[in-house]
Amino acid sequence: MDFFANLAAGLSIALQPMNLFYCFLGVFLGTLIGVLPGLGPAGAMSILLPLTFKMPATTAIIMLAGIYYGAMYGGSTTSILVNIPGEAASVVTTLDGYKMALQGRAGPALGIAAFGSFIAGTLGIVILQVLSPPLVSVALRFGPPEYFSLMILGLVILTYLAQRSMAKALLMAGMGILLGMVGLDNISGRPRFTLGIPKFMDGVGLIPLIMGLFGVAEVLINMEKKLSRQFAQAPISHLLPSLEDWAQSKWAILRGSVIGFFLGILPGGGAILASFVAYALEKRLARNPERFGNGAIEGVAAPESANNSAASGAFIPLLTLGIPSNVLMAILIGALMIHGIAPGPTLMKEHPDVFWGVIASMYVGNIMLLVLNLPLIGLWVRILRVPPSILFPLILLFCILGSFAENYSIIDVAMMLFFGIVGYFLRKFDYEPAPLVLAFVLGPLLETNLRQSLILSDGSFGIFFSRSISLACLLLALILLLTSFIPSIMKKREMVMEEEV
Amino acid sequence: MDRWIDFSSFIGRISIELSRLAADRKKSPEGEGLNADRISAVFWLLVGGSALTGSISLGLGTTREPGSGFLSFLASSFVCLMALIIFLQSLKKSPGAVPSLQDRWRGAQWKRPLAVSLFTLGYILVFGILGFALATFLLMFVLLRALEHLPWKWALIISALSTGFCYGLLRISLEASLPKGILGI
Repeated sequence: MDFFANLAAGLSIALQPMNLFYCFLGVFLGTLIGVLPGLGPAGAMSILLPLTFKMPATTAIIMLAGIYYGAMYGGSTTSILVNIPGEAASVVTTLDGYKMALQGRAGPALGIAAFGSFIAGTLGIVILQVLSPPLVSVALRFGPPEYFSLMILGLVILTYLAQRSMAKALLMAGMGILLGMVGLDNISGRPRFTLGIPKFMDGVGLIPLIMGLFGVAEVLINMEKKLSRQFAQAPISHLLPSLEDWAQSKWAILRGSVIGFFLGILPGGGAILASFVAYALEKRLARNPERFGNGAIEGVAAPESANNSAASGAFIPLLTLGIPSNVLMAILIGALMIHGIAPGPTLMKEHPDVFWGVIASMYVGNIMLLVLNLPLIGLWVRILRVPPSILFPLILLFCILGSFAENYSIIDVAMMLFFGIVGYFLRKFDYEPAPLVLAFVLGPLLETNLRQSLILSDGSFGIFFSRSISLACLLLALILLLTSFIPSIMKKREMVMEEEV
Repeated sequence: MDRWIDFSSFIGRISIELSRLAADRKKSPEGEGLNADRISAVFWLLVGGSALTGSISLGLGTTREPGSGFLSFLASSFVCLMALIIFLQSLKKSPGAVPSLQDRWRGAQWKRPLAVSLFTLGYILVFGILGFALATFLLMFVLLRALEHLPWKWALIISALSTGFCYGLLRISLEASLPKGILGI
């Protein structure tokens, strides 16, 4: 009963004209960003964050969330038509999607990607809606030690799932915590690691950091390559999948939805991991696995369903615990805080309009995406033909705009350039920037909870081991850390990651 | 005369061979050269080490009352430990297994990202003097024309349109006050 009452309350907010408009704008821009290789949803959300300052909080989050799940839809278009994933979660879609396009089946590939995304996205939201209230009541029992241990576990899982060296990912997480310390100490008021620069008293800005590491670094890396796009030449027709296509894809969509949702909850795992796991599972379960990689429609349906469902799952830690599971959720936390709303277990009780309004808007957004994507496929294809020589300078300009618009300060642009160059070298040396950004966001929270826990326990670290949830999180983190450094497991993990890459 | 021709062709052949040898020496084979992981590990060790010293000078406090440098001390120690692990791993791996510093930039047009960084730095430096509109237009024009070799007409049109869009967004939608610069806009 509560389910429908909450849904009705949420829909009454989501269907208000202004929220509908910004939901549409969000999913439209998200699809556009997903289609264009180079600027990911993190960059797009950062650019648009200043635009949301004057909006009501619910409207702002509805739009930003729309960009997130919209990008998951859009990413499949480039994967299928150009063999270039629009964003990382669509990498695996290129394997069979592009092959289908080469065989003249671009239409059904795009169609099943859109329908699969819609079904999975909607299923994901249903699970999100059902699971959120009980999880919130559990989260309300969390104290500083539980939060601290949970964040440690989150960071360890994130680095465990890193695509390359785990030591490098852990090092990045450590650097993220250090970067998060820059500025005034909340408790003592002492400046830390400011290098005598007054601007650093406020700390390092999240937006210049994200814009630099993800936007500018991407531009710099792409600038040194000769990019050419090979379009599948066959005309796009018959977007509606046939009955046979549906029969082949139905279980892939369902399995992808469930796997995607639960992997989406994992910190750092999210949509990318979900799409890889869903694809691998379908290949393993298939009667003729050799079809995979040669244009199997399940190879498109499973990862596309999984990455959309994971987008819904990623909201669980944000809405129930106030902890971001990925960089995009960290931006959403930033947006909530700008509007004076503390994310976490109290969100559902104190701001039910935001909580249920955002969830309900995701149902509406998913319908919009389905209606938008199929008829507008021609538009997306035309946008795809924008040459990189124009695209990359424009992306750089939007990064400058996004960094500048946060505080109208050119120093933020300088900071963005600095992190852009850092990001370029990180990529060159195989260091992933995602653990750094997430640890940067979690760093101050981690410090506050650590200090509070130690004050509570009168200086004893035993507090982390005497509480069952905290102990379980730390034990799991320790097991993951230890197993990742055992040579045989390390080798196997590296093999799996290499296969995925 | 013929002897002279033979001698000059001999000298020519030797100089060609010598230049080939020099080029081969410059162009180290794949996998050889400075180990990229080792270099990055040393870099992070230095960064972690300086953060560690900074944390100690901030004050570690006690476990009852942790100081400002408490968590940063733990984090920087962790960075140093990971850097050490990466360094040791690079020693264990065979020379060809880890790409060298040269491999990382092999075949890459590195001058282009360098130019983009320098142009953006120039933009930051002249931003206050030229103002938002002119500086942004010039940056876009330089990127499109000088770097991407777009025809003059298209470079001008795209620069003007994109600058106009950003200017409108900041001034109208966000009501931002932007530096006007020498043009007064």
